[in-house]
Amino acid sequence: MSFISQTTALTATGIRGISQRLGSSFVVVIGVMTVVAVLISLLAMSQGARQMATANTRADRATVVSRGARGVGSSSLPRATVLKVFDAPGIKRTPEGQPYASAVAATGVDVLKKDGRRGTVFLAGITDGFRLTSPTIEVIEGRRIRPAVREIMVSESSRRIYRNMNIGDHITLRGGEWTIVGVYRDTGSINDSQILTDADVFMSAFNRNEYMQAMVVLESPASFARLKDALTSDPSIAVDVRTDAEMQQQNFGQLYTLLDFVAYFIGAIMASGAVFGALNALYASVDTRRREIATLRAIGFNNGPIMISVLAEALVLAIPAALVGTFLAWLFFNGDVANIQGLVFKLTVTPGLVLVSVFWALAIGLIGGSLPALRAARLPVATALRRT
Amino acid sequence: MKFLPLVLAGMLRKRGRALLMLLQMVSAFMLFGVLQGFNSGLKEVIARTHADRIYVASAVSLGDPLPVSHESRIESVPGITQVSARQQFGGTYKLPNQFIPIAAIEAKTFFEIYDEIVVAKDQLEALGRTRTGAIVGSETMKKHGMKVGDHISINSPVQRADGRAWEFDIVGSYTIEDQPENSVLIVTNFDYVNEGRRTGRDTVLMFVAKIANPAQATEIGLKIDNLFANSSNETHTQNESELAQSQIQRVGDIDFVVHGVVAAVFFALLLATGALMMQSVRERVPELAVLKTVGFTDERVMVLILLESIVFCVLAATIGLLLAKMILPLARQAVGVPNMPAVVFYMGIGFAVLLALISGAVPAWRGLKLKVVDALADA
Repeated sequence: MSFISQTTALTATGIRGISQRLGSSFVVVIGVMTVVAVLISLLAMSQGARQMATANTRADRATVVSRGARGVGSSSLPRATVLKVFDAPGIKRTPEGQPYASAVAATGVDVLKKDGRRGTVFLAGITDGFRLTSPTIEVIEGRRIRPAVREIMVSESSRRIYRNMNIGDHITLRGGEWTIVGVYRDTGSINDSQILTDADVFMSAFNRNEYMQAMVVLESPASFARLKDALTSDPSIAVDVRTDAEMQQQNFGQLYTLLDFVAYFIGAIMASGAVFGALNALYASVDTRRREIATLRAIGFNNGPIMISVLAEALVLAIPAALVGTFLAWLFFNGDVANIQGLVFKLTVTPGLVLVSVFWALAIGLIGGSLPALRAARLPVATALRRT
Repeated sequence: MKFLPLVLAGMLRKRGRALLMLLQMVSAFMLFGVLQGFNSGLKEVIARTHADRIYVASAVSLGDPLPVSHESRIESVPGITQVSARQQFGGTYKLPNQFIPIAAIEAKTFFEIYDEIVVAKDQLEALGRTRTGAIVGSETMKKHGMKVGDHISINSPVQRADGRAWEFDIVGSYTIEDQPENSVLIVTNFDYVNEGRRTGRDTVLMFVAKIANPAQATEIGLKIDNLFANSSNETHTQNESELAQSQIQRVGDIDFVVHGVVAAVFFALLLATGALMMQSVRERVPELAVLKTVGFTDERVMVLILLESIVFCVLAATIGLLLAKMILPLARQAVGVPNMPAVVFYMGIGFAVLLALISGAVPAWRGLKLKVVDALADA
């Protein structure tokens, strides 16, 4: 018989025999399933964070922060600097000459979540140009905020997670009452973790005279270089100009690197446990089949097909287990909202994660099946044919 | 203990299988140790806080500055013995990834409030005399090779009006008793930072105060907050334990993740162990029958099987937990939990015994009910 027909025949026999070795099969299946379920659930968190960070990224938009600022939290731009930014070349303008430019000053605000625990929401003071630089902010209930009054627009998520965020509710901050006047649609981006008010009102209430960052929409993605040159070569201001993508990486890179690390760290330890369990289970399976395997070798089946059939048994158990594990992770956690230090995002089980789960199943199955497969190939025919 | 040889013989009957099972268990308990260690470590941080210290911060959020003028009114509240402004920020030293936190405080009162900080008296006086002086934590001094008398320069996002970096003259070093690894701050004079900064002058992130009677913390806190209620700089006062708790709560639902992962791991382990024990007992039916023939009672055989299970699981748990204890400090930089609390060890051993009993229950029952005649007939 040829290699391939030997392999198929042996694999088919081996797989049909799984029902006789339910104990060890179960160990492999449950082992892989739990590893994958946990790994994919944790990775869903980092994928969710990643998607939140990169949603709304445009090639024709740039952010200006103070020079050397490591993230938006440590950036501070005086008013004069912001005015210069608004006048810079390369910025798209309306027919009336208004630049597509806005500036933001923000702070974290302690609020109570609906379940009674404390949380943080980000209150951002925005200038009028914000509706031009962030056109995805769409009011679905109530109305937009007006300048010069203490009004707030909340995201759908903020309204859902925190208390007192309905239209007409009041929040007391800095000695004054602020009224919720509108709700804007969730966009799956950082705006969902925010509530918005007018920049001047914010700055006067919070005693600030500097903005944190400025955003501009460019005439075209190619204008970025012109804008950056003009602003960084101006000796009277000290700024850095970054693309949307660079800003996301700076602001969130640490978060999803950390989440990825936690997921893979826990996953690796669990996977090693699953490998030991699979090795044990498959050794036991080969043991149970030793007379069968010895007979096959005695009648002329080659070692190669025998080894492959053991490996195949491992994979036939591991891969479906991984898919079930991924399905469980999706069932229980997909779409759940995570809230880490005020950043709101949804756990997302992406198709990419399904591939990751299959890859890990392959690894566990192959490593766990390798030594038993070798053992099967090396069984001395005569000894295996004895009764004990 | 006279049965120990029997128990060991049973465990090591199939050495390869025992080793693999051991490794699987060790990895499970190691993961448990790391996760629960982190979880319990956070709880321990809360427990270790000082009940006689309160923090006055903005009612908006800890990051929102308060005017320094609040201090005199806070001091006048009865029950408060010392107050210090505390401006917390940070910067990088020499390389952009070498971050050091800085606390700008009032030298006269700060070290009395944080009485667990050990610092030489003359160094403390030097801090009071030297405007640009700094007392640096022993851990940071060691890590960066700093010495008393050095002049250091820190780059910070909190900018100076003259655009330069923050410069400090090291006049001393401090250690926190029984937490030396947490002695990392650069402690400097509030006035120096306040006068040099470009924005936010005459504001401070929080005031820290020592109160005479810890039981009065809530009452005093309310009194302080009432002083500033309905003003544009309302305060929110918490004691140290509440502050720690709210910081941890903000990170998210760590408890849920830890418990979920641990549950999944132990579920898989329980199944594997149970399957293994069942198979092992099944294979040893003739031997168990011989034991009964020789005179071991049914109950003794059952206990023997359970004992084997317990010894195995506890051994694996101990190894796994010790490994976790070694790993956890490595993550200290990222997560700030220095050591695995002892309670995690006890929990782990407890789980091991439980695992042993549950997975060994059916095999032990089998051993109990084994009829010598039937067993020997098979062999």
